Amino acid sequence: MRVARLLLRRCLSTSSFDPRNAIHEKNSSINAFVHISDCPPTIEAETSSQSACSKPLQWTTVAVKDNICTSDMPTTCSSAMLENFTSPFDATVVKLLKRAGADIVGKTNCDEFGMGSLNTHSIHGPVINPFQTLRSAASVSWRNREKRTAGGSSGGSAAAVAADMCDIALATDTGGSIRLPASYCGVVGLKPSYGLISRWGVVSYADSLDCVGLMAKSTFQVRRAFDVLETPDPNDPTSVSKRLREATAGVLREFSPLKRRSPFEDSQLRVGVPQEYFAQELSPSIYNSVRTILKALKDLGAQIIPVSLPSTSYALSAYYVLASAEASSNLARYDGIEYGTRIPLPPGSDSRKASKVYSHTRTQCFGDEVRKRLLLGTYALTADAFDNYFLQAQKVRQLVRNDFDRVFRWPNLRTAEGLSSSSLSAEGVDVLIHPSAIRTAPLLPRETASTATKSSMDPLDTYLQDVLTVPASLAGLPALNIPVPTIQDDNVSADSDQDGWPVGVSIVGQWGCDRLVMDLGMVVEVAMLSSNTQ
Amino acid sequence: MARLFSDAWQVVIGIETHVQLKCRQKLFSRATNGLLSDSPNSRYNVFDAAFPGTLPKLNPKCVDLAVRAALALNCNLKPRSNFDRKHYFYPDQPVGYQITQYYSPFALDGTLTLPKLGRRVRIKQIQLEQDTGKSVFDYKTQSTLVDLNRAGAGLIEIVTEPDLRSTEEAAEYVRSLQTLLRSMGVSDGNMEAGSLRCDINVSLNRHGEPLGTRCEIKNINSVRFMVAGIQHEIERQKSILCAPSPMQVSQETRGFDEHRWETYTIRSKEDAPDYRYMPDPNLGTLTLDENTIEHVRNRLPPTPEATRNRLINTYGPRGVSEDSIDVLMGLDSSLDVPFDGGTISNHESHSTNSVAYFDTLCKGRDPREVINWITQTLLGLLSTMGKSFSTSYLATSQMGTLIDLVSNGEMTRSSGRLLLRHILLHSPSPDTSIRRLAKDLDLISIGPTDHADEICRRAIEALPSEVAAIRSGNKNVLNRLIGWVVRETKGKADVQKTRSRLEDLISKM
Repeated sequence: MRVARLLLRRCLSTSSFDPRNAIHEKNSSINAFVHISDCPPTIEAETSSQSACSKPLQWTTVAVKDNICTSDMPTTCSSAMLENFTSPFDATVVKLLKRAGADIVGKTNCDEFGMGSLNTHSIHGPVINPFQTLRSAASVSWRNREKRTAGGSSGGSAAAVAADMCDIALATDTGGSIRLPASYCGVVGLKPSYGLISRWGVVSYADSLDCVGLMAKSTFQVRRAFDVLETPDPNDPTSVSKRLREATAGVLREFSPLKRRSPFEDSQLRVGVPQEYFAQELSPSIYNSVRTILKALKDLGAQIIPVSLPSTSYALSAYYVLASAEASSNLARYDGIEYGTRIPLPPGSDSRKASKVYSHTRTQCFGDEVRKRLLLGTYALTADAFDNYFLQAQKVRQLVRNDFDRVFRWPNLRTAEGLSSSSLSAEGVDVLIHPSAIRTAPLLPRETASTATKSSMDPLDTYLQDVLTVPASLAGLPALNIPVPTIQDDNVSADSDQDGWPVGVSIVGQWGCDRLVMDLGMVVEVAMLSSNTQ
Repeated sequence: MARLFSDAWQVVIGIETHVQLKCRQKLFSRATNGLLSDSPNSRYNVFDAAFPGTLPKLNPKCVDLAVRAALALNCNLKPRSNFDRKHYFYPDQPVGYQITQYYSPFALDGTLTLPKLGRRVRIKQIQLEQDTGKSVFDYKTQSTLVDLNRAGAGLIEIVTEPDLRSTEEAAEYVRSLQTLLRSMGVSDGNMEAGSLRCDINVSLNRHGEPLGTRCEIKNINSVRFMVAGIQHEIERQKSILCAPSPMQVSQETRGFDEHRWETYTIRSKEDAPDYRYMPDPNLGTLTLDENTIEHVRNRLPPTPEATRNRLINTYGPRGVSEDSIDVLMGLDSSLDVPFDGGTISNHESHSTNSVAYFDTLCKGRDPREVINWITQTLLGLLSTMGKSFSTSYLATSQMGTLIDLVSNGEMTRSSGRLLLRHILLHSPSPDTSIRRLAKDLDLISIGPTDHADEICRRAIEALPSEVAAIRSGNKNVLNRLIGWVVRETKGKADVQKTRSRLEDLISKM
C-alpha cells in the first residue's frame, strides 16, 4: 500500500508547477540536459478539461535522449557533427509520448552517437552523477563532493531521473547504454525486447542492436511509458507485427508465474543465475547486492537455479565488431553536405575530390571514441577482414542466442514463430538475474587524472564492464536494471568498495517477456522496500 | 576484315544492365519517383536525403515488377534473399552506401533467347537495388550540384553470363531485353532517358583457349555507343595482344567517350574500391513465397514472342500476314509503360495498346479488314497529319462501326477514309455515333437500286459519244462514265457496283 501511495504521489507531483524551473536550477551542476524545452502552453489549458485526464501520460514529465529526433528541439547526438541540427520530424516514440499527453521537458546528454560507457564523450561535457551518499549529503557542499560519472551512453537520462528533473526519461541501449547508467545513478532502466519499440527517428548507432528504452524511479513508471510506446510502427521495418505482439501477450497471460495476487504461491518462479556473470572483476559490494535480491526472492518462494551461458566470454568481442561495423556504415552519412556541420577546407587546398571535403569535416567533427570505432568497423568490413571478423561475430551472436534459448523455459517467439503455446518446458528458467555493472560509478576522469585510480578509465576496463550487458543486446532480450538499496549495515567494515554508491541488478527475460520482467521488477521493489522498513 | 579477325580471336561479351523499375514510388521510401521534367530536388523525402533516424521501407510494387522481370527471363526465384549495403562516398549517394543484393540476389539462372540470331543468352542473376542521385558539374561556378530526384529509385541489375560473341549479338540482346521489359511493364527501358543503362564486359581469347582478361565499359546509354564502345575495345585489346611483343590486357574499368568514340581508362583493378559489403541490418530477409510468385505470374503480360505467336496462329489462317502483325506490334513500342505494373485497360480508351485494340475489333469481323484499317488506313492518315500513332482517337466501338459500314457496303472505302480523316481532325467525343456522323457528312452510299440506276442513266445520257465508243468495243471508256457517277455522288457510289450497273444498262440499250 505504501508503495502504491508513493507511486501515486509521484505521478501527480508535477501537475502544480512548471518543472522547468527546477530543471534549470539543477542542471547547472549535473549537466543532464543539453536542451530544455519551453513550457507548452497547452498544459495550463488542459489540466481542467475532462478529456485530458484520459490521456495515459498526462502531467508526466519526460526527458528525451539527444539521439532521438524532435522537430521542436535540436538533436545533436552530443556530436560536433550535428551541433546545430534540428530534425524536420519527430521520432515515432516522441509522437506517441506527445499524443499520450506527456510534457517533454528537454533533451538529455549522452555519449557521442551513443558510443561510450561514461558519458564523457560529449560536446556538451560530462554528466555529473547526482547521487548523494548518506555520508556526503548533509555535510559536503555540491562543489566539494566527489564527482562521479553517471555512466553512458544514456547518462543524461539516468541523471535527470535520479535528480528528479523528470518522471520518465527516454533513452537508447545498444550494448548497455540504459542499464549501466541506470545502475550507476540508482534508477530503474528497461532495455526492451528488440523490435517492440519503434526506432523511426532514433539516430542509428548499430541498427541490429539499438533499442529505445525507458528510465524512471520505479518500474511502475517505466511500465506506464512502455505501454504507450509498445505498438507496431509501419515506418520501422524491424518493428514487430501486431500478430506477434498479440501471440506473445497471449503466452504471457497464460503462463506468467507471477499471478497478480499471490506471486509465488501456485506457481514456481524459476530464477536463473548465470555463473559466467560473476567474474573476478566483480567487486564484493556488487556481489552482496545480488545476493540480497536472490535471498528476498527465495524467501518469497522462488527457486534459484545456477545456469551456464558458455558463449558469454565471446560476446564482448563479437559485440564490438558488429556494433562498430554497423556504426561505420550508419555514420557514413555525416559528410556535411546536406545537413550537419561542414568544416570548409583551408584556402588553397585541393577541393576537387569529394573525399577530401568529406574527410576534413569528418576528422574535425567526430570525437575520439567515435573515430576509433568507425576505423575498427571500417576495417572489419573490408574484403580481407570480413570473413574473420564480421562473419565470425555473426556466428558468435547466434551462439549467444542459442545459449539463452537453451536456459529459458519460454519459447523465443521471435525466432520460433508459430510455436504452439501449449506449455512451457519444465526445465529452464523464467528469468535471469545478474549484476548490471562490475562496480559502482567511477570517478570522472578529471578527478582521477593524477591518481592511481586512473585504471577506471582504462578503455579495456570500460569494455569489460559491457560483458554484463552486451549478451542481452546481442540476443535482443528484455533487460531491466533495478537499483538495490545500499546496505547500511554497521557490521560491514569500512571496506573501500562499500562506498555507498548505487548498485543495480539486471533481470533478463526471454524475447517478448518484457512485462514478466517488469512484473518481477515490481515484486523486487516491494520486497526491498519492506526489507528496508523492517 | 572483321571476319578474318574473328577467325583468329573469339570475342566474349557479358552485359550488366541497370533497369529502372516503372514504379510511382521509390524502392525504400514513399517519395514519388522523379520524372525528367521535375525540377531538381523536388522528389525526395527524409529517407532519400539520408536524414538521421530514417529507416528503409520496402515498396512491394517494386518487388512485384522485379519478380515479373525474373519470370520473363525464366529465372529461378529464391524464396529467401537479402539486402546488403555497398559502401562508397559520393555526393549523389547521401547515405554513404547503396542498398543492393550482393550476397544473395533474388533471382538466378535465367535465359533470354535472341529472336533474330537465335542465340540463347544465360542470365546469371538479377538483383534489386537503389539508384543514386545525380551529380551535375557546373563549369561556370566550378562546383558540383546534386539532384536527389533519382536517389533511391528502384532498379534491377540483370547480369548475363559471358555468352555474347559479337557486337551484333550484344546489340540484339539489349534491344530484345528492352522490348521484353517494356512489354512486361517492368520499365520504360529508355536508354536515352537513363532508365536502362549497360556496363559491358569485353575480353578476347584465341579459340579453344581460356577466356582472356576482361575490361568493363561503364554506363553505356545507347545501343549505338555500345556497339562503338565494344568495337573500339576489341581493336584496342587486339592491338595489345597482337603487338610485336604481345602483352597482357590489364583488367580495368573504362568509360566511353561519346565525342571521340573511344573507351578510356577510369581505374585499374588495383584501384578498385573496397565496397565493404555488409548485410543491411534493417531490411531483414526478402521472402518470396509461392503465393506471391503465383500472384505475379497470373498477372504477367504475355511476352512479345508469345503475343506474336498467338497473333500468327489466330489470324494467320484467316489471311493476316506476319509482316502486318509485326507492324501492328511495332505500333506499341512508343506507348508509355503504365506505373506499378498496371494494365492498359480498355476502358481507358486513351491508352489502349494496338494489339488489344486489334483483338477487340476482330470479334465478328474479318481480321484482314481490321488489320488494314489499323496498320494502313489509320497509320497512314496519322502519318500524313504528322501525328504519332495511337488508338486513342476513336473507341473500338466507333472504329468497329466504321469498318462495318464499309464492309456492309453502306459506305464506300473512300468515304470510310474520309470519315476517319474527319474524326482524326476534329476528334469528336468517344460516344459520338459514327453512323450518324457519316449521315451528317452525307457519306452513306446511295441506295442499291432506284437512285443508283437513275444516276447511271443520267451518266449515259450525259456522255453519248463515250457510250458509243463502249458499244463499239472500247471497254476502257467505261471508266469515264464511272468517274462521272463518282463525281456526281461525291464518292458515295460504289465503284464495282456502278461498273456492273452501267455495263448492264449499256448492254440492254
